[in-house]
Amino acid sequence: MARFYPLTVTDLRHDTRDAVVVTLAPREADRAAFHFLQGQYLTFRRAFDGEELRRSYSICSGLDDGTLRVGIKRVEGGAFSTWANEELAVGAVLEAMPPMGRFHAPIEPSQARHCLGFAGGSGITPVLSIIRTVLAREPKSRFTLVYANRQISSIMFREELEDLKNLHLGRLSILHVLETEAQEIELFTGLVDAAKMEALFRSWIDPGSVDMAFICGPEPMMLAIAKSLRAHGIADDRIKFELFASGQPGRAKQKAVSVTAAASAHATEATVTLDGTARTFRIEKEGPSLLEAALAHQIDAPYACKAGVCSTCRARVTEGEVEMAVNHALEDYEVRQGYVLTCQSRPLTDRVALSYDE
Amino acid sequence: MAEAMRIEDYLAEGGVLTSPDNVPARYRGELMRLMASFVDSELAGAAGFAERINDAPGITARIAAARIVAEKTGHAGRVLEIMGEFGADTARYATRHPWAARVARDADLGQVRAGADMRLSVFHYPLTGWVDAVAMNVLMGLATEVQLLELSRVSYAPLAETFREIAPVEARHAALGLEGLRQIVATPSGRAKAQAALSYWWPKVAETFGRAGSERFGMLERLGLRHRPNETLLADWKAAAEAALGGLGLRIGGR
Repeated sequence: MARFYPLTVTDLRHDTRDAVVVTLAPREADRAAFHFLQGQYLTFRRAFDGEELRRSYSICSGLDDGTLRVGIKRVEGGAFSTWANEELAVGAVLEAMPPMGRFHAPIEPSQARHCLGFAGGSGITPVLSIIRTVLAREPKSRFTLVYANRQISSIMFREELEDLKNLHLGRLSILHVLETEAQEIELFTGLVDAAKMEALFRSWIDPGSVDMAFICGPEPMMLAIAKSLRAHGIADDRIKFELFASGQPGRAKQKAVSVTAAASAHATEATVTLDGTARTFRIEKEGPSLLEAALAHQIDAPYACKAGVCSTCRARVTEGEVEMAVNHALEDYEVRQGYVLTCQSRPLTDRVALSYDE
Repeated sequence: MAEAMRIEDYLAEGGVLTSPDNVPARYRGELMRLMASFVDSELAGAAGFAERINDAPGITARIAAARIVAEKTGHAGRVLEIMGEFGADTARYATRHPWAARVARDADLGQVRAGADMRLSVFHYPLTGWVDAVAMNVLMGLATEVQLLELSRVSYAPLAETFREIAPVEARHAALGLEGLRQIVATPSGRAKAQAALSYWWPKVAETFGRAGSERFGMLERLGLRHRPNETLLADWKAAAEAALGGLGLRIGGR
């Protein structure tokens, strides 16, 4: 089960108008839990208006920096990122889980490799961690970064990247691609799309020289880059992906409050939604689980262990109330949002509705 | 930067997801189901094979059998670890079922998953001795190679990477099995036993590929969790098995 630890904010720097870089320190006793690998992220939790939100932000420090830093860019309408940018201060204590994520490749100090990184906007944070680590621990390797941003003023870590370039002369090249600002070389204006990738491979980057590629950005950029890398002979096992947070909703939805009358009958009318289709059937309150009932009505609901352990059968209750016999997989905050393990759930009210789509 | 994109369109175009945070609910359910099927099959397969270590002729064969059991259990653990990142209680999961339990040798389960776990139906049948275990391991090992090639392309990147790392080790299990079979068919009685065992396991392993024209395939394909249909994978396995066993002068496929 997930465990959270307190982290104290020891430094806080506004990097651009809407991005903040936060340095964190675990308690002495928790230091080992926060040893990280380059490219990993931290998941934070905080209550907003009594409702718990969890957000993940990538670590931007390298392994040898001796610090734990994350970059947080403000997202339009995002409760956590806005709070971090406007209200968070040195001395504050955040709660975070130990580092997670697999956006990294093994470091090989004796190797002379060419790594190629692509970052879109705040997607730079884990890529920066990788760059710092590779340059420090693989003295013969070099790194090429293609960094996409809307405009110069929104480039995160601009100075830090320049400093790295000077520190590791000749080993770090950076190509800035700006969406809305014209540059001297036309290639560096616009989006990183299929055409841009072709042009980059034609005149700036030799795909045959690339040993590992790292991509972190929004969906269309990830697609275009991955397709182009594959077309140039860079196989999937040499491409590392980190899709950044666009999939995270701005705000967790509250569980729908039931207006159904109190329980009376022995049977319940259950509505189950799967793949956008809702089906309604009757189920005995003391009978089989809601999962079993759904399966008996030819609804292809996902499940695996049927023992409340694996969470494959998770669904969200949107009306009425259900009771779980056993729950070894869902956390309290998920349960508060209305999530249940359907293999363990029986209805309490005369009507229940649940969805596997939410 | 770029415009926003629906996650469904992103997946349909071949995009990959990278952490539990950016996985939609339906995708999560199907991904967990896929992982549970692999974990349960590896655990059940290893548990069944473990009992046959004592039948192995000689030290080399015993070591090979013990190693196969250890590595398959390890592979289950690696995928279970990913399930744990989605909330599964990994400690409880690993001990949840009697993985060594089997049905009667002459039962007919077809493609239906029986019992309370998600193991492929083939792992419900008992192994009767060393030759039987080797024959099953060869046919299922070659099937696993075909399945892992497919699964190495799943759109959940941490899982695809894990399958890519597991695949060569599983391929070695099939190769060890073929080596064992080569020794078994050196005697006429061994050859007869091996032939009988292959005839027993052939249709049961074929069943693990699922139905042709499966209605679930389209949905899984849109999510990037499948790429090639069941019937294509089945044909690949048949070709590989026929090539491998034909070389030993063994008849398969009921012919």
